[in-house]
Amino acid sequence: MTVRVDPEHNETRALFDLADFSGQRVLEIGCGDGRLTWRYAGKAGHVIAIEPFADSIARARENMPEELKDRVEFHHIGFEDFAAKSETSTFDRVILSWSL
Amino acid sequence: MVHALEEIHRLLKSDGRLIEIHPVLESPLIKVYRGNTVLFVEPYPGYDYEDDLRHAEDALMQVIQHRLFVIERSTEFDLITYASSVAELRDFWAKAGAYDDSPKDEEVEAREEELYARVEAFMHAAAGGAKVALHERARITRMNPNINPP
Repeated sequence: MTVRVDPEHNETRALFDLADFSGQRVLEIGCGDGRLTWRYAGKAGHVIAIEPFADSIARARENMPEELKDRVEFHHIGFEDFAAKSETSTFDRVILSWSL
Repeated sequence: MVHALEEIHRLLKSDGRLIEIHPVLESPLIKVYRGNTVLFVEPYPGYDYEDDLRHAEDALMQVIQHRLFVIERSTEFDLITYASSVAELRDFWAKAGAYDDSPKDEEVEAREEELYARVEAFMHAAAGGAKVALHERARITRMNPNINPP
């Protein structure tokens, strides 16, 4: 058995209950190894997922499902640095995931 | 944290939404299951991020009080992580928490070791089919960026 996180999909249900991701431009802050990203990215228009910890982002890139490669970008960067080079009014959804 | 929330406000479109997820201020639980039956449950003693959570909640309250964001909806859910052994669960958490280089409280660490030893013994006694789980309660909130904050 490998470790299974939220096989009941409680987090995904709560997320979809609160927000529609259809065609949306999403920024996920603190994406870790992409655990949550995989669950909503299929619905989104485009996802930029950022994470300051190199090992986690390496695992996220490694585990990227083929069908999401054209819509998900992983960046190894902290939020302050990312925000400093980002334009105003860019995203439809920002997910701050277990990282405040 | 308040500055980060101000930056998020700037990056969001006027009709965009912030979805914020964080664990609630209560200790997660370590459980042992066989099938759907809970055989063992105890609070996880390694819970040492209460101060961080309080700061995060304070930052959220501050931006809400300043009308930078308006809470539209909020709810709670259970996030459960299952593993077939204590070693597997610990290895997973070591990787997931490797970014945290802050020193751990020795007393907390000792209690953590003691609990893990008991869970391991319990799983051994329960024979095959038992699984260990970390049960966390989390809050998810949807916020609307107020386009005309005072």
